Amino acid sequence: MLDRATEQALSDLKVVEFTAGMAGPWIGRFMAHCGAEVIRVESRKYPGVVRLYVPPWDRAGGVREEMSPWFTDWEAGKLFVALDLTKPEAVQLARRLVARADVVIENQSSGVMAKLGLAWEDLIAVNPQLIMLSSSGYGDSGPHSSYVTWGPNIEAMAGLGRLSGFPERDCTTTQFAYPDSLSALHGLFAILCALDHRARTGEGQRISLSQLEATVGMIGPQMMDCLAHDREPAKLGNRSLHAAPHGCYRCAGEDRWCVISVFDDAQWRALCETLGLGAWTDDPRFANAHARLENTELIDARISSWTELRSPHEVMEILQSAGVPAGAVQDTEDQFERDPHLKARGFFETIPHLTKGEVVATGIPVGLTRTPGHTRESGARMGEHNAYVFRDLLELSPEEIRGYEEIGAIENGD
Amino acid sequence: MSTDAPVALAGRRVLELADESGAYCGKLMADMGADVIKVERPGGDPSRHLPPFLDDRADPSRGLSFLYLNTSKRGVTLDIEQASGRAIFERLALSADLIIETLPPGRLDALGLGFDALRAVNPALVLTSITGFGQTGPHRDFRSSELVAAAMGGAMYVTGEAEDPPVVMAGAQCSWMAATCAASSSMLALLHAGRTGGGQHVDISMQETTLAVSHISGVGKWLDDGIIPQRMGTGLFASVPSGTYACSDGSVYLMVNRPAHWKALAQWINQETGNQEVLDPMFEGPSSNRIEYRELLDIFISDMTVKHSVDEIYHEGQRRHIAFTPVNSAQQVVRDPHLAARNYFCEVDQPGLGRVRQPGAPYHHSSTPWRIHRPAPGIGEHNHEIYAGELGLEEDALAALAAERVI
Repeated sequence: MLDRATEQALSDLKVVEFTAGMAGPWIGRFMAHCGAEVIRVESRKYPGVVRLYVPPWDRAGGVREEMSPWFTDWEAGKLFVALDLTKPEAVQLARRLVARADVVIENQSSGVMAKLGLAWEDLIAVNPQLIMLSSSGYGDSGPHSSYVTWGPNIEAMAGLGRLSGFPERDCTTTQFAYPDSLSALHGLFAILCALDHRARTGEGQRISLSQLEATVGMIGPQMMDCLAHDREPAKLGNRSLHAAPHGCYRCAGEDRWCVISVFDDAQWRALCETLGLGAWTDDPRFANAHARLENTELIDARISSWTELRSPHEVMEILQSAGVPAGAVQDTEDQFERDPHLKARGFFETIPHLTKGEVVATGIPVGLTRTPGHTRESGARMGEHNAYVFRDLLELSPEEIRGYEEIGAIENGD
Repeated sequence: MSTDAPVALAGRRVLELADESGAYCGKLMADMGADVIKVERPGGDPSRHLPPFLDDRADPSRGLSFLYLNTSKRGVTLDIEQASGRAIFERLALSADLIIETLPPGRLDALGLGFDALRAVNPALVLTSITGFGQTGPHRDFRSSELVAAAMGGAMYVTGEAEDPPVVMAGAQCSWMAATCAASSSMLALLHAGRTGGGQHVDISMQETTLAVSHISGVGKWLDDGIIPQRMGTGLFASVPSGTYACSDGSVYLMVNRPAHWKALAQWINQETGNQEVLDPMFEGPSSNRIEYRELLDIFISDMTVKHSVDEIYHEGQRRHIAFTPVNSAQQVVRDPHLAARNYFCEVDQPGLGRVRQPGAPYHHSSTPWRIHRPAPGIGEHNHEIYAGELGLEEDALAALAAERVI
């Protein structure tokens, strides 16, 4: 019986992951953080890609599977088993893991799960109440469903890359494979909806997610503009169609910036008074948002001449005190060293790491005040939890386990 | 628009007291079948006035952002600044599973409608608050916006060209990601309440969800390798090669990650251009082996791509299992043959406006399919249905509330 006082949101949930890439594993990361038992199936031939990151200072060390910092961000808190799924005995074990699970998450290339004997039809045969999410670049039908993509490809393919950035640039994409994160958050929600349905009806179901379609949906109004009027939506950079000033301004120091966005006349007056531009408060050139949009460049030049003398955090503090939305453009060092707010909220999480002792990682931002969740550990190697999962959870005998190991179905470390 | 299939969130009632930063959360739940009631101030929510507008006519019924973000919801007007409005809100809260709100921290408490007050009348209630910085901490009262969240959340510093100022993504990605996380968190809390009988307050911070979404270039990696992630155009720090490459009629995006993908690409370049150097074994292995040759490899690739059309590189590259994809404009996305074959875009019959085309399902559930159950509501469209039909208010009471501009 679970202890209700320490129970987390997903304490009684069992998840099996057959994931690759990043859009799948991040779902399991959230679920493990919220108390679910998440078993991540890998094979030595196809380790999770986040394991492949080699820090530039450790080039000679090559790939060290448990050392990648991204491993913590995408994979921490799970149980890791290594199976050679090209062997039918390994597939039998995988099915036994699925038989005792509530949820399966997979984002293999199209057709791989079926080829392995782990398609939806195979899995509901062993677990009729199963919920299974398949997440792929293009979805599971359509002429290009077998094509390969990564998150950054989708950012450009979905139209987001060409709509983003300054007008003189062809395409602007993030450094953080945005479609992977957004697909993971949509996939998580889709699974939780299916769990709600199952709690009421007992019925499981299959969910298919196209990362391309989830990403196009995130620029819905721009797409509607295009669909209705057959034209390219405005490419705005940091500007807004309905607010001014609205931009990113240079501050004192090397590559230091702050943002300021003014949405109403009260904020405009507060900005003017703070910058010593009292005369502008009743200047007709800036009387309302429409007028300010017309004269944005004039305003931006005056703001820059003020921000250039100050640090981004100083600008933020002064303007926020006056009620004007403003923020420092923070790099990683700012986030960790110069953000007292994140520190006070305990946002960054210190996680035990099997080889490094402990690591600090970006928090999981679920915001559950009563069941906040936590991350058990990081740094597991492939197959780290083989013994625990096959002996303790599947209750195989030592002889059975040895048999699977001898034929290479269960893969153990070197 | 409607089918007979069941909905995943049948019987879930949600009150939405949210501006455009949180409305996507309610849309996600409403399109999965929750009964989401959007509570607007009398006269309508200011987000109805956000551009762009259908046919460029600046009319509060034509805002594309509002029409998109509020599908499948019912709408009422209510002034919770007035005592009689608050009394009605409390009655609605009695029958709700979830309230989504985007007011400044502490505002609901000040109105007597905070989590503790609402829990006293409805112990299983989940209250999800979406704000710029969350409900606690020294910046909790800071004003936020899409720009502020992108800046403070680390997404902006690493986006764009090194020689340009930092830049945000198009749309309102940080707000909508916070709203998406809020939808998942709300479901987590609802599932937990279903087992234990106890609701909770969900505290979503746009700064934190932005940090989480951008964590690949975040604090964990920096603390480990000491490298502060920078803006570097469309190329990616840890994938070599990666980024956009010019073709004869546009551009393509390429990302190479696994060693096998590099070998396939090198062979293709060699076949197309006769380049022998590209086959050098020193370029093989994980991306880290290629980092110092990034510019050289970009030249090798461009020499090939520039001689071909986007479609040629895309389809031949894919035939070779190399992740080449087109860099699409919005007009190319709406004409994309793959999306068309999947019937991705849908039409919503919007009263007075006709059929309005928009993006469709982000996911497909086999038993409880995503669908738009009704168009975005007009101002106060369901006042009578909900206040008279469900709360049982008499006609003269409704008329009095309208006269006092409570509804």
